[in-house]
Amino acid sequence: MEINLSQNISHNTTLFAEPVFHYQGFAITNALLVSWLAVLVLMILALVLRFKLREIPNKLQNIFEIIIDGALNLCDQVTNNREISIKIFPIAICVFFFILVNNWLGLLPLGGFGIIEQAEHGLVFIPFLRGGTADINTTIALAIMAVIGANIFGIFSIGIWKTFNKYVNLKVLGQIPAKIWKEPTVVIVAPITFFVGLIEIVGEFAKVASLSFRLFGNVFAGEVLLVSMTALVAYLIPVPFIFLEILVGVIQALIFSILLVVYFTIAASDHEEPEEGHVDKVSKIINNI
Amino acid sequence: MESIIATFHIDWKIIIAQVINFGVVVVVLYFFALKFLIKLLNERAEKISKGINDAKSNAILLQKTKAEYETVLAKARTEANTIFQEGKKEAEHKKALMLEDTKKQVSSMIENGKKTLENEKIKMVAQAKGEIVSVAVKIAEKLLGERVNTPLNEQTIKELNNLL
Repeated sequence: MEINLSQNISHNTTLFAEPVFHYQGFAITNALLVSWLAVLVLMILALVLRFKLREIPNKLQNIFEIIIDGALNLCDQVTNNREISIKIFPIAICVFFFILVNNWLGLLPLGGFGIIEQAEHGLVFIPFLRGGTADINTTIALAIMAVIGANIFGIFSIGIWKTFNKYVNLKVLGQIPAKIWKEPTVVIVAPITFFVGLIEIVGEFAKVASLSFRLFGNVFAGEVLLVSMTALVAYLIPVPFIFLEILVGVIQALIFSILLVVYFTIAASDHEEPEEGHVDKVSKIINNI
Repeated sequence: MESIIATFHIDWKIIIAQVINFGVVVVVLYFFALKFLIKLLNERAEKISKGINDAKSNAILLQKTKAEYETVLAKARTEANTIFQEGKKEAEHKKALMLEDTKKQVSSMIENGKKTLENEKIKMVAQAKGEIVSVAVKIAEKLLGERVNTPLNEQTIKELNNLL
C-alpha cells in the first residue's frame, strides 16, 4: 500500500501497543519488542554477574549485593518469616527487575524511531519502542502469574485442602451439625463464612485487575505525560519529567513486587491462625512506599 | 468485557509471549546470578557472624585470661611478700646471732689479750727483776770492789737480796 507523506502524521500515544511487524499471523508489538530487549538486557546482566562473581565484590556485584540484601530485608518485613522470604524472594526480585527494565526502556529517547503506517484516520507514526509495561498484555501476564503463583505457593505451604477451603469453605459448613447445639449462631455464621470464601474467588480476579491496571496506568500515564511535555516544549522541559518517570519506574516495580510478596504470604498463611498485627505491618510498609 | 478487550487490544498470544519472557528472565536471572549471589551473601553473612562470635568468645577468653593472670599475679605477689618477710626475719635472726657470736668472739679475744698481756707483764717483771738483780750485783761488785771484804760483801748481798 502506498503512503502519501504529504498528509499529517499522527503521533498520538495509543492505549494499546501497536504491531510493528507480523510473523505468521502473530502481531509483534512495540511493547513486546521492548520486553524482548528487557529479557536480553537481564540475560546479559545475569551472565556478566555470574562470570564476574568474586568473593571480594567489584562495583557491579557490590550494587547487586546491596539491592538484593535490601530487597531480602524488605521481604522479611512483609513475610515476618525468613524461611518464607527465601522461597518467595527469587520470584519477587525477578518481577522487580523485569518490570524495572521494561519501565526504563520505555523512557529511552529512541521512541523517535519507528514506522509510518496508513490507518483508518490517516497516517500514524508507530514507534519501535514502547515500554513493555505500557502494554496491558504484559501487566495482565505478570498479574495472572502472581495470583496463580500465590495460590500454588499456598498449596505447597499449607496444603491443598486448606487452600481450597479459603475459597469454597466446606469445612465451616461441615461444622454446623457438630456445633449447632453449643452455638446456635453457627447456622448464621457458617453460611456467611462460606459466602465470604466465594467472594475470595472474585477477590482473586480483582487482584489480577488491580495489579495489572495499576502498573499499566502508571507507566502509560508517564508516557503520555512525556509525550505531552515534549509536544509542548521540546528538549529541556521534559528532562525533569524523565527523571520523575525513572523514579516512578522504580516505585511501580517495587509496589508490584511487594504486593506479590504480600499475596504469596497471605496464601502461605493459615486463616485459622492469624498473626497479630501482621496485616497492619504490611499496610504500613505499603503506605510508607 | 469485549469492549475492554477491544479497547486495550488484549491478546492472549501476547500474554503467553510475556509469560514466556518472564519465565526466561526467572530461569536466567535465578540460575545464573541470584542463586550464586544469594549463596555468596549467605556465606559472607555466616563468615561475619562466625567472626563476631569468635571475637566475642575471644574477648571472653581474654577476660578470663586477664582474670587468671591477675589472680596468679596477686598470688605470686603474696607468695613473694611472704618469702620476703620470712627471708627478712631469718636474715635478722641470723644477723642477731652473728652479732652475738661476734661480740662473744671479740670479748673472748679481749679476754685472751688481757690474759696474754698479764702473763707477758708477769714474765717481763720477773725477767726485769732477774736482770735488775744481776745488774745491781754487777754494779755493786764494781763499786765496792776490793774495799769491802768478802764476808761483808756477802752480807750486803744477802741484805740487798732480802730487800728486793
